[in-house]
Amino acid sequence: MALLELKHVSKSFALAKGTLLVLEDICFNVEEGEFVALVGPSGCGKSTLLRIINGIVPLTSGQVLYNERQNDGINLESALVFQSFALLPWLTVKANIEMGLEARGIALAERERIASVYIDKVGLDGFEEAYPRELSGGMKQRVGLARALAVEPKVLLMDEPFSALDALTAITLREELLDIWQARDMSVHTIVMVTHIIEEAVELADRIIVMGSGPGRVVADLKVDIPRPRDRRAEVFNAFADKVFSLIEERG
Amino acid sequence: MVNSALSFLVLAAVIALFFAYRNRAMILHAPEFKFSLAHLPYYAYCSFYRMLAAYVIALLFSISYGMMAARGPSWERVMIPAIDIAQSVPVVGFFPAAVYFFVALAHGSRLGVEMAAIFLIFTSQAWNMALGVFEAVKTIPEDSAQALEAFGVSGWLKFRRLLMPACVPKLVYNSILSWVSGWYYLIACEIITVGPAHYRLPGLGSFLMEAADRGEPLEIVSGLLTLLAVIVAMDIIVWQPLTVWSEKFRYEFAASSATAQSLGMFAALSGIGPAVTRMLRAILMPGVRAINRAFEAMPTVHLLSRKQAQQVSRIGQVVLISAVVLLFAYAIVAGLAALIRTLDQPWPSEVKQIPAATVASMMRMIVAYAISLAWTIPCALAASESPRFNRFLAPAAEIIGSMPATALFPLIVIFVIKVTGGMNLASILLILTGMQWYVLFNLLAGVNQVPEDLKEAARVFGLSRVATWRKLTLPAVTPSLITGSLTAWGGGWNALILSEYFIYRGHTYQVMGLGALLDAATYQTGNGVMILLSLLSMILVVIVLNRLIWRRLYEVATERFKLDY
Repeated sequence: MALLELKHVSKSFALAKGTLLVLEDICFNVEEGEFVALVGPSGCGKSTLLRIINGIVPLTSGQVLYNERQNDGINLESALVFQSFALLPWLTVKANIEMGLEARGIALAERERIASVYIDKVGLDGFEEAYPRELSGGMKQRVGLARALAVEPKVLLMDEPFSALDALTAITLREELLDIWQARDMSVHTIVMVTHIIEEAVELADRIIVMGSGPGRVVADLKVDIPRPRDRRAEVFNAFADKVFSLIEERG
Repeated sequence: MVNSALSFLVLAAVIALFFAYRNRAMILHAPEFKFSLAHLPYYAYCSFYRMLAAYVIALLFSISYGMMAARGPSWERVMIPAIDIAQSVPVVGFFPAAVYFFVALAHGSRLGVEMAAIFLIFTSQAWNMALGVFEAVKTIPEDSAQALEAFGVSGWLKFRRLLMPACVPKLVYNSILSWVSGWYYLIACEIITVGPAHYRLPGLGSFLMEAADRGEPLEIVSGLLTLLAVIVAMDIIVWQPLTVWSEKFRYEFAASSATAQSLGMFAALSGIGPAVTRMLRAILMPGVRAINRAFEAMPTVHLLSRKQAQQVSRIGQVVLISAVVLLFAYAIVAGLAALIRTLDQPWPSEVKQIPAATVASMMRMIVAYAISLAWTIPCALAASESPRFNRFLAPAAEIIGSMPATALFPLIVIFVIKVTGGMNLASILLILTGMQWYVLFNLLAGVNQVPEDLKEAARVFGLSRVATWRKLTLPAVTPSLITGSLTAWGGGWNALILSEYFIYRGHTYQVMGLGALLDAATYQTGNGVMILLSLLSMILVVIVLNRLIWRRLYEVATERFKLDY
């Protein structure tokens, strides 16, 4: 059985005049252990869809099933990583990472132990007491990643996690993310990532769901059958990226 | 327009309700005022504790009010205009009403006068702080709020981790402003109680008034110096460290505003500030850390399930809101009844003077405003051209501007009366002291916001001085000038009430004006109709001016002169 099932998910926002339909009849499943990328033109509602899967944005109609059960409210077994990092500037790196644990009522000593595990995992050693403003973009996103991993979710939801970073930093972080995911030594094996960088999706994902806009809908659902580790300069890689690109161009 | 009329009516009802307690407020026999230098520290303490009490209440109020108003559009639509209306009540004019109310409430005990003064200072401090909290919560980046929500952070933890920290910079900044205006009105209240009213509030204001009344230069100077010392000490020990600390709570991309920096007053003494900060930190931080640790060591206990907790909080909310609505409904109904009862009495002949008095007061306000503009605009232009002058002017103005001008009122009045024999010039001077700083501070803030590259562009294209003023500096500061003018007129009306009527050595000096009518009715004839009508006329003028002139000007100015290229 699929870990996540999206059934006829629609979302509309109330405007001053009438309503705006942003997502229409979205259906797909995400299997346990799968890395799924959502790609599409800007404004196709892919970030909104990610938030619907997490539960902070309520859907208008349809269902999101997690382990065959419908979640009302926020699915605390999923964790979000933000494009803008969304770190609290007044908390240290450590306190930012502990925040989700605190919300789950975990005692201080245990919180500190867990936080230090993930600080180590994402390579933030020595920065525990730093404030976000003192860090580079890449380091900030490591904090964002550690904060998400620390609550030991089953599903990691990533909203354009590398889009605000410079190209070189993004490459490093992508590789690290793959290492973490492939090591399979954590609770999280399933990742849903929103991105508008097609190469990123092809490099990372098992499956790419191509979305179109106006209103947002699923245009294509492609299995990325390129063996790992993937070479960004290989011909199959570029051919696949071209295919996704033309799908977006034609039907996006 | 309908909205304005309705809110005016509500306001009138609430004020009438306060006045309705007039008959029940018994005459209090003023305690003997011990006038000696030895008592000066005691009077300073009295004034300070009133300020502190009012501030603590204002702080709690502004946090809860601002956060509630930021909860959603329907809360905002009611709660923000309510502040706007509350701001249009001249605090000084409302003081007698507050005294009646609280003295009656306290069953004629002197505590009532204290409560009235504290309430008055509260009303001069709370509104801008509440607006600051509201803006801070509203401008929390959506991602931050969502991140917390996505990780299941809610309730008390959310308040502690997100809402409260996000408010810190604006709260500190507005607290500094609130203390400045708080001192102004506290001294005003204390002066009033020595002058015409029969309630005496021991404090620095009453000490200064008494000293001026007796013509004791040594006491006057010591009183002023004590006041200055308290204000400077507050700035060095509290506000400067807090301003530095509050920088930690800024979102990076929110442009760190130069105004917040420059408000750390008395930059000349800035060496002392950091030293005191370090000292305080060394003393206080271990304690703060221990408390924090203790807090954090407590695991969040979930006594109730998520759903139950939501239900409980929803029920709590409904109860709270209905209580507030009921109280408010009662206040309006009772207030309207009181309003009708008061106005149903025969109207005295002085009522006919109100229109002429309004015009006379307006004239004084306009003259004072013109004088304010006449010196502040050249100063601002000079500051925009010369960074050196700016560096000198800004802190100097802050030091002088943070001294409550009301403390000088007795001196100014007595001096002018001695020289000219009349009150008119004194009155204009007093209004000026209530107006000019707001204009100057806002102008300087506006000048500092003119982008450097625009100034460079003006130089590169060889614009003459006058052309630079006309094309760049003046348009760029126009929105700030209008904001400053709006606040200045608010301060001016308050000063007006104090300035048109003065009792010195048993002799009453007054000029024709709305403030004089209000004071004479309050302190001489005690005619309820006159008190109410003159106060309401003043509020009406304030609201009409705000709606018809300032708000429209502000909309036009921000539309045309906003620097968002």
